[in-house]
Amino acid sequence: MSTLRYIVDNWDTLRPQVLDHLKIVGICVLVAAAAGLLLGIVAARSDRFAAFILALTSIILTVPSFALFGLLSIWVGLGDPPVIVGLILYALLPIVRNTREGIVAVDAAVAEAARGMGMTSLQVLARVELPLAVPVILAGLRQATVMVVAIATVGAAVGANDLGQPIFAALTRDTGTLEQVLAGVLPVALIGIVADVVLAAAQRGLSKGRVAVAAT
Amino acid sequence: MITFDRVTKRYGSTEAVRELSLEVPSGEIVMFVGPSGCGKTTSLKMISRLIEPTSGTIHIDDTDTASVDINELRRSIGYVIQQVGLFPHYTVAENVATVPRLAGWDKPRIAARVDELLDLVGLPAADYARRLPAELSGGERQRVGVARALGVNPNILLMDEPFGAIDPIARERLQNELLRLQQVVRKTIVFVTHDIDEAIRLGDRVALFSRGGTLEQYATPAQLLARPASSFVADFLGEGRMVRRLSLIKVRDIELAGLDGERSPAERVDADVTLRDALDAVLRARDGRVLVVEGGTTLGVVDADTIRRASQ
Repeated sequence: MSTLRYIVDNWDTLRPQVLDHLKIVGICVLVAAAAGLLLGIVAARSDRFAAFILALTSIILTVPSFALFGLLSIWVGLGDPPVIVGLILYALLPIVRNTREGIVAVDAAVAEAARGMGMTSLQVLARVELPLAVPVILAGLRQATVMVVAIATVGAAVGANDLGQPIFAALTRDTGTLEQVLAGVLPVALIGIVADVVLAAAQRGLSKGRVAVAAT
Repeated sequence: MITFDRVTKRYGSTEAVRELSLEVPSGEIVMFVGPSGCGKTTSLKMISRLIEPTSGTIHIDDTDTASVDINELRRSIGYVIQQVGLFPHYTVAENVATVPRLAGWDKPRIAARVDELLDLVGLPAADYARRLPAELSGGERQRVGVARALGVNPNILLMDEPFGAIDPIARERLQNELLRLQQVVRKTIVFVTHDIDEAIRLGDRVALFSRGGTLEQYATPAQLLARPASSFVADFLGEGRMVRRLSLIKVRDIELAGLDGERSPAERVDADVTLRDALDAVLRARDGRVLVVEGGTTLGVVDADTIRRASQ
């Protein structure tokens, strides 16, 4: 209850932080989805490219976020930009991987029938492969979104005015309180849960009759 | 008519199809049959250029298939495969509408065509149009596959082991349906199977391949059974060739014995029965003689001797 009270009392400070957090997450997910879809499609067509891009995006994910944001701030300055760029890079792996797997998992007979009936490769992709891969792709998007929502808090360390701010403020000062930490953590958790539930529902809704849905 | 002219397909140094030359006449069912690895499916796929020949040409009527736009070519050829390959996210009606849609037909025309095709394959649109493939039995799915292949009323139908994964009882029903359908639509059908009985049952002609893509014999089923061109063909045909052949010939088509003043036999068969049924009647008849009748008139007498002579 005291946390709720703290949130209400400090809403003027928290409100822009919530909005900034949502903005960062929104931009990252949109850009990463577009880029990841494209890279995933290419990766589904070429095994060599798949090996390359999956290795690269995996390596990026092993770089600690604090270090990545710091490094990126050298080139793009402090504040939101390094966080946005860094999170896009993080979000690529699940999206690229699931897009590729979703397409590759489409029954070879279905793709063959489509080709045999005279669909161009673009038509096979747009009318058959991508629609059938949608549940798997959405699973990847979901994973990426939840991850980005959480890691965005670290962005406060390089000056992003997001929900990492109350957390960092509390942890770096002797006067910091648990309420202050939770004032950042709770909204982050709430955003993550809402995003997850919405995407999970979309995933289920679009899965009817399609290929097996990936576990997460 | 589909004409193969010295068509060869090589993968590295292995030959999948060797110097294949044959003609598939319009409106006939030609069966490509042989053991696995004999190049029958490769030959079929080269017709719609799903596989491109290494050398040689394939003409459809007078057009070299290599000179046509590949997707136009494929849209003009119906294609049915063993795994059916229905689009699981499309309803039955949407599946059947695939090629008309690709061809840019307008909506009312597509809807009418879909209803017509579903009727043709015995799946009333009212019951089936809105179902998803996952809600159909194997046999029903294959019928949707056939309806889909007939979408824009192509002259040619390529069928790659379409009934291979279906249980024997349903398979026989689908075979009968295909023959009935063929009476109506009269397509040029190339049908791949590894089942020689299916080949003999359905084919107007049978092309028998051996490993390495060599055409061993190309003949009508009756010719094939009577005169196998090689020991490979004879082996592939299996036991009981002459007896099986009897099912392919009608009594009306053989030379019958006359009555020659003898007493008219008690047993009688219709002129439209096969020699197999006629032989059955001969074996039943006390004197081994059976009268062949058509309507009210007598065509002659069939006995063991006439059947033996006809089958040689």
